[in-house]
Amino acid sequence: MYVRRRRCYIVKYVLKRLFMVIPILLGITFLSFALMQTASGDVIDAIYEQAGGVPSEEIVAAKRAELGLDKPFIVQYFIWLGGVLTGNMGNSYVSNRPVFQDFMSHLPATVILTLSSIFITVLFSIPLGILSAVKHNKITDYIIRILTFVGNAMPGFFLSLVLLYLFSVQLKWLPATGNNGFVSIILPTVTLAIAMTAKYTRQVRAAVLDELKKDYVLGARSRGVKERIILYFSVLKSSLLTIVTLLGLSIGSLLGGTAIIESIFMWPGVGKLAVDAITMRDYPVIQMYVIWMAVIFVVINLLTDIIYYYLDPRIRLQKER
Amino acid sequence: MRILKLVAVLASVGVIATSLVGCGNSNSQNSTASMTDSASTGGLTSEKVFNYGTTAYGVAMGNAGLDPHISYMGWSSVRYGVGETLFKFNEAMELEPWLATSYEQVDDTTIIIYLRDDVTFHNGNKMTGQAVKKCFERLLEKHDRAPMDLDVNSIDADGQTVTFTTNKPNPAFVNAICDPYGAIIDVDAGITEDDNVVGTGPYIAEKVSPTEINLKSYDNYWSGKAKVDKVNVKSITDGDTLTMALQSGEIDATQGLPYASLSLFQNHTDYTISSADTSRLYMMAYNYKTEVLQDVNVRKAIASAIDKEGFTKTLLNGNGTPAVGAFPSNFTFGNEKVTAPAYDLEAAKQLLTEAGYTDTNGDGYVDKNGQNLTIRWLTYTSRQELPKLAESAQATLKQIGIDVKVNATDNYKDFLKKGDFDIYASAFVAAPTGDSQYFFMTHLDDNSVGNTGSYHSERIQELMNQLRIEFDTDKRSDLAIQIQQQVLDDNAYTFASHLKMSFVTKKGVTGFTAHPSDYYEITNKLDIN
Amino acid sequence: MYTAYKLTTDHTKIKFYIFLLLVGVLLLVSALAQYIVPHDPYLQDLSNALQPPSWQFPFGTDEYGRCLLSRVIVGATTTVYSSLALVLFTSVLGSIIGVFCGYIGGKTDAVIMRLSDVFLAFPGLVFAIAVAGVLGGGILNAAISLALIAWPRFTRIVRGQVLAVKNMSYMHAAKISGCPWYKMIFKHIMPNVIGPVVVTAALDIGVTIMELAGLSFLGLGAAPPTAEWGSMMSKGRSMMQTAPWTILFPGLAILLTVMLFNLFGDTIRDMFDPTQRRVSVVNCFCKLKNKVKVEGDVNV
Repeated sequence: MYVRRRRCYIVKYVLKRLFMVIPILLGITFLSFALMQTASGDVIDAIYEQAGGVPSEEIVAAKRAELGLDKPFIVQYFIWLGGVLTGNMGNSYVSNRPVFQDFMSHLPATVILTLSSIFITVLFSIPLGILSAVKHNKITDYIIRILTFVGNAMPGFFLSLVLLYLFSVQLKWLPATGNNGFVSIILPTVTLAIAMTAKYTRQVRAAVLDELKKDYVLGARSRGVKERIILYFSVLKSSLLTIVTLLGLSIGSLLGGTAIIESIFMWPGVGKLAVDAITMRDYPVIQMYVIWMAVIFVVINLLTDIIYYYLDPRIRLQKER
Repeated sequence: MRILKLVAVLASVGVIATSLVGCGNSNSQNSTASMTDSASTGGLTSEKVFNYGTTAYGVAMGNAGLDPHISYMGWSSVRYGVGETLFKFNEAMELEPWLATSYEQVDDTTIIIYLRDDVTFHNGNKMTGQAVKKCFERLLEKHDRAPMDLDVNSIDADGQTVTFTTNKPNPAFVNAICDPYGAIIDVDAGITEDDNVVGTGPYIAEKVSPTEINLKSYDNYWSGKAKVDKVNVKSITDGDTLTMALQSGEIDATQGLPYASLSLFQNHTDYTISSADTSRLYMMAYNYKTEVLQDVNVRKAIASAIDKEGFTKTLLNGNGTPAVGAFPSNFTFGNEKVTAPAYDLEAAKQLLTEAGYTDTNGDGYVDKNGQNLTIRWLTYTSRQELPKLAESAQATLKQIGIDVKVNATDNYKDFLKKGDFDIYASAFVAAPTGDSQYFFMTHLDDNSVGNTGSYHSERIQELMNQLRIEFDTDKRSDLAIQIQQQVLDDNAYTFASHLKMSFVTKKGVTGFTAHPSDYYEITNKLDIN
Repeated sequence: MYTAYKLTTDHTKIKFYIFLLLVGVLLLVSALAQYIVPHDPYLQDLSNALQPPSWQFPFGTDEYGRCLLSRVIVGATTTVYSSLALVLFTSVLGSIIGVFCGYIGGKTDAVIMRLSDVFLAFPGLVFAIAVAGVLGGGILNAAISLALIAWPRFTRIVRGQVLAVKNMSYMHAAKISGCPWYKMIFKHIMPNVIGPVVVTAALDIGVTIMELAGLSFLGLGAAPPTAEWGSMMSKGRSMMQTAPWTILFPGLAILLTVMLFNLFGDTIRDMFDPTQRRVSVVNCFCKLKNKVKVEGDVNV
């Protein structure tokens, strides 16, 4: 009886949350469309400007009419929306290729980079965080904390250039650009992972410190349970909640692409695609990106909520009430 | 616990190492490139592979693909040795035969082009007059700029000749078909979904993507099989990455390195630099609607206070040449043929005094009727040189007492429309097809888009009318000189500099040289030793 | 156990004062920047371009021959004050909306919350570039675009706090005894929400500096010739190998300033909320969730 009520609740909850994505999607696609429209210049200007020419007004006008850019923007928006509802995301104004396929071909690179950098981050930040907490206020703790502060305050583009210079130019261990198979992913991954590791280590440390202060740890200690066992089985398990949440958020933002890292390492992901589209005012591509971001945002939020729901009985009970 | 410790220690070592590098990187320069040439050149096989990194290829440039009939893709087609045009430009930007042998101007509107007899497309088909005709028909049907430039009435093919008739006399017709959109492809062979084409050049594109083109040499190339078997053209849009990719040995040659990086390769035994002046022009237009600028002395004073030498030498790291006229020196009607005010601050001050401007209140800026002389300098940032020009001019004009307010914005079109500017600095490829008429028509004609300063001169209108119908090359050149000189005498424009483009290659790469037109990069002459 | 706890608080207090002092010094330097620079930070001298550090120019010169030390000092004004102003603005605005939503509830609340969802889901980069397109580049416009996407973060924190406080019995008591709404807000609600807001804001300063630097990297930050650390770095990056001082010094300035503000923020958190770590995980989760945008923008 109880189980069924629970399942019923969660299904309803998920459906409700998924339904919520519709107004958000309408809202942000409209917003981005409006913003891009009010921005001066359009894709036609951008294309000719790049080539350094001044085409005559007739050519520009004809091209604009061809893309439907001469219509009022509300009309343009609804034409676009109509296309989307019939499953057609349109063609890029610049490359003239179908936006959906183009976007999907950039997605794997972003997903791979997301997974690899998250993996490295988890691999390093959890042990570092625990070590820092266990050695609270000792020299190891201080060293780790100083490093995390440095890692947190170093702009990503600077870090990537330094790494590139060191490993590609000086040591010649790794390629500078992004399509040489496995080795190409190392530098962008490390760049992303350093900043994230710095952040996560701090969070893990704080979470573990919290747990270590709790009464049950004291109790376990007094019962003579080994420190290692306490750490692995009790403390780490409770800190997992924080880590899972953080992970969800990082994955969400990484899946949006990392324009700077991608353009420095020539990594063909969606972030660079989006920035290029924005500078060229390539509306259909921008809209595709915006939709992707919104979907990630909603899905990741939902997933973390659900994981939370199962991990933490307190929330579960509170919500069911 | 022990494993935990180990991982933690390893991790901290990693983090320490990278942060140390961050601090120590200032000392470690200049010890580069001792083992450059081991990385590339295809390993065990004797196959020669050339890796080329460029900033000029990509979706944003409108040239990601090889179909010459779409946007600017023709540039990629010609640059990377896939497509060729009927005629080409030499170093002096004069016409030379390429796929054609010669042409004949029958009358004002009819032109016969004689084609080479030994050219085959990559699929083995012969390039005939019929194939060229079909190619141009598709061009006129699909392309945005070509129909206006060429203004073709009809095309007839017969054997190896093609006859074009134009609607109006078009003296620059042959120049116009040297634009890469005039690259000849086999239309019947079709165009693939990723915009790959069947051309006539030394290289066949095996794979085309928005970030990379993989080329292999064409065995039956009419001018002799290329020496390098495979060429990979890689789009690397970040200048610093490009620099480091060359240093690391991943690529053999680059185009579009940041100016600051060039000095790393200059006078370096492992690298060769090849540069050429292009007709990409940095210029300033004076707004004739601004009252203070209607005084020729003020315009001349400003022109005399632009430090072109300092701008090109220091700010562009020598990657530009000071301009006098609108066209670089290698043109027959280039720089040397015209004169413009020289950089002379004293003369400039004198001119301002003559115009009635002196610093009466001692605030460092000259004034007249209680008004300081302030100039709104409009420019944009998408060309990195323009903000530099603005900053440089701001400093030198301050020395003659003119207060320059720089407005570097990508909304410049709005300001142009509103007329909210006094000087508009911009970049423009003045002679993409080696002919002067294009620049004059776009920038000096009364109602042209580029005539932002509303400049009007009866004499120039008259000279341009002559130019429109003049077919004789020498006379055209002479007219071009007269028009430029008139513009400079009026101080309607100041031409600041021409951009130099440079290739940096590893030592041992030959036959890869910069060309003033920016169209020709990879040819069958390319070799790696 | 008790003494140990006491000791940490004293320790925290000392740390707080030290960091406060350092922040004060930084703000003072920024405020007086114009008067303490050794050279005119905007004076170009092309014959002195790209000089390595020397006695005359301790940080060297940039490509225009401008003194880098002077530019780094003046850049502090732009970078630090614009970040501070930005954080102040968004935290105040976000909090006001949050209190409003939490207190009023109902349809208005729902509408504003959906709106904040839209802003949170909106890719910050798209927004920044669009705003830069509309308003033109420049540090102010970059700040405006960041502000427009940052407010929902504060709104959510505050709203959550208000909702938690609203149903406490003392609130009911106050309401029954005829306490007017403004008094309810200022006397009973504000003191309870101010803590998390200050903590989040303090920690946000460093993030904001980094975000502005990132925007400058993409050419959307300060317009030339304004001295701003982020744009100085992005201009100097192509000279990393030939004139490393052009990127190193502004980079160090950013690094140290961001570290200082992060440490300061941490200390404030410890001060304001010593029990924060014992607050239910739910609460903690909400806070983390609200940080989603922060990360998104740092990684651009």
